[in-house]
Amino acid sequence: MKISNIQQVTMANNLKLLVLLCVLFFVKHTSFAQGEGLFKSKCSSCHQIHKNGTGPMLNGARQRWVDAGEGELIIKWVQNNAALRASGASKRAAAVFKEYGGSQMTVFSDLTDDQVNQILDYADAQPKEDPSKAGTNVGSQDPNATQTNEDGGLGIMWIILAVLFIIVILSVGGVRRQLKVASTGDESYNQLTYWDEFKTIAWKYRGITGIVGLVLTITILVVVFKSLYSINVMQNYQPSQPIAFPHETHAGINGIDCKYCHNSVTKSKHAGLPTVNVCMNCHKQINGEGKPFAGEVKKIYAAAGWDPSFGPAGGYRNTKGKPLVWNKVHVLPDHVYFNHSQHVVVGGIDCKQCHGDMKQMKETAKVLPIEELNKVEGNIKLSKATLTMGWCIECHGAKEVTIGDGKNAYYDEIHSRLKKNKTLYKQYLANDGKLTANELGGWECAKCHY
Amino acid sequence: MEVTKKYWKGIEELNQTPEFKQLRDSEFPNQHAVEQFLVDNQLAESSSDRRDFLKFLGFSVAAATLAACEAPVTKAVPYVNKPEDVTPGVATWYASTYYDGLSYASILVKTREARPIFIKGNKDFGFTMGGTNPQIIASVLGLYDGERLNGVYAKGGNKNFPVDEADAAIISSLKSAREIVVLSPTVISPSMNTAISTLASVYSVNGSSKVKVVQYDGISYGAIRKANEQNFGAAIIPSYDFSKAKTIVSVGADFLSTWLLSNEYAVQYGLNRVPSNEMSKHYQFESIMSITGSNADGRAQIKPSETANVLAYILKGVGGATTVSSNIPKSAKSIADKAISSLKLSRNESLVVCGSNNEAEQLLTNAINNHLKTYGTTIDLSNDVKLYHTNDKEATQLFDKIISGKGPDVLINLGANPVYTSANGEKLRKGLNQIKMYVSTARYADESSSVANFIVPDHHQLESWNDYQPKSNHYAVAQPTIRPLGNTFSALESILVWAGSAVRNGKDSTVAYDAIKASASSLGCLDFAMLTHNSCCTLNTSEKSYAYKPASISATTKSGEWEVVFYQKTAIRNGAMSNNPWLQELPDPISKVTWDNYITMNPLQMDKMGLVTTFDQEHGLNLACVTVNGQKLTLPVYPQPGQAFNTVGIALGYGRGANGEAIGRGAYQTKEYGGYDLNEQGNKKTIGVNVFPFISFVNDLPAYSVNATVAKVEGEYLIAATQIHHTVMGRDSIVRETTLATFIKGDKESFNPAHKLQRLNEHGHHEEAELKEFDLWNAHPVDKVGHRWGMTIDLTSCIGCGSCLVACQAENNVPVVGKDEVRRGREMHWLRIDRYYASDQESSIGKKANKDDFSYSKAENAADNPAVVHMPLMCQHCNHAPCETVCPVAATTHSNEGLNQMTYNRCIGTRYCANNCPYKVRRFNWFNYPSYKKFSEVNPAQDDLGRMVLNPDVTVRTRGVMEKCSFCVQRIQATKLIAKKESTSAENAKEIIEEKFNTACSEACPTNAIIVGDWNDDGSAVKASSNEDRAYQALEEVGVKPNVWYKVKVRN
Repeated sequence: MKISNIQQVTMANNLKLLVLLCVLFFVKHTSFAQGEGLFKSKCSSCHQIHKNGTGPMLNGARQRWVDAGEGELIIKWVQNNAALRASGASKRAAAVFKEYGGSQMTVFSDLTDDQVNQILDYADAQPKEDPSKAGTNVGSQDPNATQTNEDGGLGIMWIILAVLFIIVILSVGGVRRQLKVASTGDESYNQLTYWDEFKTIAWKYRGITGIVGLVLTITILVVVFKSLYSINVMQNYQPSQPIAFPHETHAGINGIDCKYCHNSVTKSKHAGLPTVNVCMNCHKQINGEGKPFAGEVKKIYAAAGWDPSFGPAGGYRNTKGKPLVWNKVHVLPDHVYFNHSQHVVVGGIDCKQCHGDMKQMKETAKVLPIEELNKVEGNIKLSKATLTMGWCIECHGAKEVTIGDGKNAYYDEIHSRLKKNKTLYKQYLANDGKLTANELGGWECAKCHY
Repeated sequence: MEVTKKYWKGIEELNQTPEFKQLRDSEFPNQHAVEQFLVDNQLAESSSDRRDFLKFLGFSVAAATLAACEAPVTKAVPYVNKPEDVTPGVATWYASTYYDGLSYASILVKTREARPIFIKGNKDFGFTMGGTNPQIIASVLGLYDGERLNGVYAKGGNKNFPVDEADAAIISSLKSAREIVVLSPTVISPSMNTAISTLASVYSVNGSSKVKVVQYDGISYGAIRKANEQNFGAAIIPSYDFSKAKTIVSVGADFLSTWLLSNEYAVQYGLNRVPSNEMSKHYQFESIMSITGSNADGRAQIKPSETANVLAYILKGVGGATTVSSNIPKSAKSIADKAISSLKLSRNESLVVCGSNNEAEQLLTNAINNHLKTYGTTIDLSNDVKLYHTNDKEATQLFDKIISGKGPDVLINLGANPVYTSANGEKLRKGLNQIKMYVSTARYADESSSVANFIVPDHHQLESWNDYQPKSNHYAVAQPTIRPLGNTFSALESILVWAGSAVRNGKDSTVAYDAIKASASSLGCLDFAMLTHNSCCTLNTSEKSYAYKPASISATTKSGEWEVVFYQKTAIRNGAMSNNPWLQELPDPISKVTWDNYITMNPLQMDKMGLVTTFDQEHGLNLACVTVNGQKLTLPVYPQPGQAFNTVGIALGYGRGANGEAIGRGAYQTKEYGGYDLNEQGNKKTIGVNVFPFISFVNDLPAYSVNATVAKVEGEYLIAATQIHHTVMGRDSIVRETTLATFIKGDKESFNPAHKLQRLNEHGHHEEAELKEFDLWNAHPVDKVGHRWGMTIDLTSCIGCGSCLVACQAENNVPVVGKDEVRRGREMHWLRIDRYYASDQESSIGKKANKDDFSYSKAENAADNPAVVHMPLMCQHCNHAPCETVCPVAATTHSNEGLNQMTYNRCIGTRYCANNCPYKVRRFNWFNYPSYKKFSEVNPAQDDLGRMVLNPDVTVRTRGVMEKCSFCVQRIQATKLIAKKESTSAENAKEIIEEKFNTACSEACPTNAIIVGDWNDDGSAVKASSNEDRAYQALEEVGVKPNVWYKVKVRN
């Protein structure tokens, strides 16, 4: 993992701050951890602590209700705002609803009074962040990250060796000829070109030349074909994108789960690109003002048809928005069917096993070479280039399928049928003693081609 | 007794013509195209020689290599705001309703990324019980037709006239008009009826409305309504229930394919065609060979003028009395007697229907039904059908007025096409042009609407909210499955806007939605969410009782030397969807002809007239001229076994767009290398001839048969029929049939004997042995391991309707190839329905003595009235597949689940596999159908809009590769994935697969003839079905061990 110096500093600072906060609030509120958990799972997609977003900031929210003389009603508001508004018992409720453009707050009837208090306690306990520090952990890119290219040096070595070899051969031939001229006195040898001489020798030993030629031709053909097969036009493919999207910041520093944005990955063949409304869940608040990435966020606003000047509560005013046009990074040919949900849900494969650790990907996404994927923890070591059929086949032949542990009823059924045919079952296991995806149809043409 | 008939597909096979034999022996017909390609004028002019060719070749290789080094950039465009119920890559289904003026069905629409791509019947809700027909399934293609109007069309050709200005002009005309007529196909929408009444009440003078409504469908069932008015005092069409009928007698009614709610009747019919003691008996009397007739247990050929006599004969036979003559020909008498004895047995569990549009004949039918007391059992008068409400008299009067220039001031046409479907089309067109304000809501600038002042085009059915009351106790809604593609306007909204009670709001308009919601609640369907979920609800209607009053019947039968029957074909019907290439290319279930209209005639009679009765790809059919009341038409004459003597049949629905109207790209004849064929006037040539003008009126009702003269005309016409393609080399073991009596006895050997082959035993003597003894290969390990996908097809319940074929085409992106390619035997359908005629002379299968004796020429008059078998044939997924062993690149391989897999990206197009397939079910991509200019008019995948109908889960195949039925492997894999993700127990996994896996064809089948599933699951329906005594495998003796079983056809 490569982390730039600046980042390390920021992280250290954050750590210190966190420890400090922990110590502080553990003394004060025993329910701190619970409140934090609830806040993150229930509230944080719409509310921030110190800033109005889709909903008002939660720091001081209780006080604002107390100021309005309805301090006890905030619990009811959080639990079921619709009912409270409908009852007409609270002026504050109506006012908040109006202030935020009539947007509905989710009903949390499952929250107990204590839990609501824990959330509000947690929110009130957060100190206001120092704005000067906020920007340092985002968008910083290390220009000094270098990659050594070991392969390049090796190639030059080979060329030098080959040239040396040819020079040696030619000089030996020249010496031999001079010796021959000297020994026989036949000047005609001197008039022979290298090519004529080669022809004479080849003809003299034509049997051997023929065989060697044949072997050489076949070898060259095989090598050329094999190397052509391994050419992967997709390797390191990294098209330019309309927004310079740093996975490192989103998945790495901010720790957003891949499935939050690529949310159809468990349901569909497509992992899905985040729709603009998903971006806006966070970027309504994170507008990047004064930061280097502000321009990129503005592109999202343009796509969403959002005007930040109206404030976070009601920006969708003017235009209908325009979809972002991304350039696909991983492109499969039309005759290949690939299903993400099959791999993620049924196969239990983590995103990084094929896509690499996106938490470290500083630039926009690219197709990773197999060498990098092999470094990913838990990965089967493969040799074929990524996004080629060889890659799929190799993994399907190696990936074991756990069966009979009651975790997947479908495979249990198939396995029980398989066991009925003992000879075939043995055949299946004979190759490597493992029951892999291959044995369950993972190598069949119609698995992916139809 | 074993029934072992001789089966043949066409006259060519019956007569064993040399061309037939040649075609039979080669999988791929002669490559005439190559020679013609070489003599193509433009190509001959080119001056490139061999050296140039090599240069081009070298350059192309280099260019291709260079290009391959850089991957093209593909775009990915996510939503701005993702709709809640759309997940990219996952299909969303909507329950909806289909109605186009002819067909009605409760449907489910499959959408992918918000694009509707597939329609199937809704088996859970609605009285159609999942029954659809080829037109309903193919209608999804119409949504993506680029020639559908996109914006208001104003006279003069402005195709994007501002709608507000059009509305203003229309409203001002309505205000000043003295007479307003709304001309519409039958309105079964309660909301539309309300809207029209609103319009009528707004535009009225001194309390009397200026608005008059005339309903006009083009196809009339007026005689049934009139007869019921006389007999029961109400002009209604009753509900029929064929599932309750043990004896069905149809006189000229093609109730399985085109008559009334045929898709509903097909489902009902199928329920009762299961071989058992309860199996229904079906007798058919008809002139043409219809789909219904081809399924009958007894079929008699009658002339249309004999309809009344046959009905009278039956009426007298069951004990009734009538003054109508009951003289019928001898051949019909024997069938009629059988029908009568069966009717007498089943009494009120009978159903007699008549397809003619003659009041007297319908009165006779009613009399028979009344005599049998079927009212209340198989006929339900209280739940009447609201469709087919043409008022022929009013319509004719209106058209006459318009022609004479005395038409209404304002005519609002809600999609009727009288210029095409009425007798005086051309005059009517001129008359319509004179109307002060003629407004239409047609979707195309068609024959009738292209002269309108404004066309405010209606949405496609799949784009709009609609509601229907098809029967008095049934209410249904159609919900939009896509935001309107073009700038179109719901007709319901337009009427309300013109009545001044609604305001347009573009595509966001909720006018139609609100109106339908109001109608639903006023009719008593209060839960609108549930209504849209189910698509329909049952209405509480008060039971009405109808008493039968006899009426005096005076049949006026004028027989002629020749009688013409104007019938509807299952694919084209009234012509409204003749622009749909899927339907044009659907081989007619009986004649197997594609892309054409023709005269059907009995081949024996053709011989007498000197017309050729055989044809092939290079030899066409002779022409004949049919003269009706002085009007003449010339069409090729098609030999139709089973056609009644001295009758000819001509299909309606052809000859659309005679003035070159923009009614869709697929509606016209194309040239051999693409582009439209033009006639002398420079107009696009129509496909076939429009015969609507030949329909004469009897007692204000259009009669679909008429006397005529027929004469041979010099000339030859090439025809594209698939009946002689992919023949099975005269092997006998492909079709098996028996009689119910034999089947009931239960001796399998007598109706479905196991195949035995001869071999030498150790003593050198011949002995018969079971097939499995001859196996040379090791069995492919599919038994009891994992899945084994299997299919059974019941030849008894298959009615040959063609729905499976269209469904397969829609699901699997099967290209349309056009008439010229079909003629060359290059149709691409993965599934074909072989229609075999069975001659009465029998030759025994398996009994050598008789088999050698059999001669086609001896089958005397075999083509007169043959029995018919429909047999859907697709890849049989053989476990010992001959295609797999001959593929040099292993592009076609066997899966461990029993599938014969076809890997397009491996295929190099040697075509060895197709040559080695005994079933002839492999198809070769001769061209790049999605881009080659030859197919730009016929193949919908050639433009961006048409491509939207493609199923994204199935590869669009390119030139030079083989393709064939995959058992819908995309659905298999999808179902397995569901089971893997969701199953809670091994049992549950099996249930999920049994319930969710369906191929497109099995889903589309109205009679459930096709069953698919996991054969290795002992509890599956397919396993049980394949273990029945009736199950056999086609060409079993070849030993290829298919995964498809057929079930012996049982005739009652």
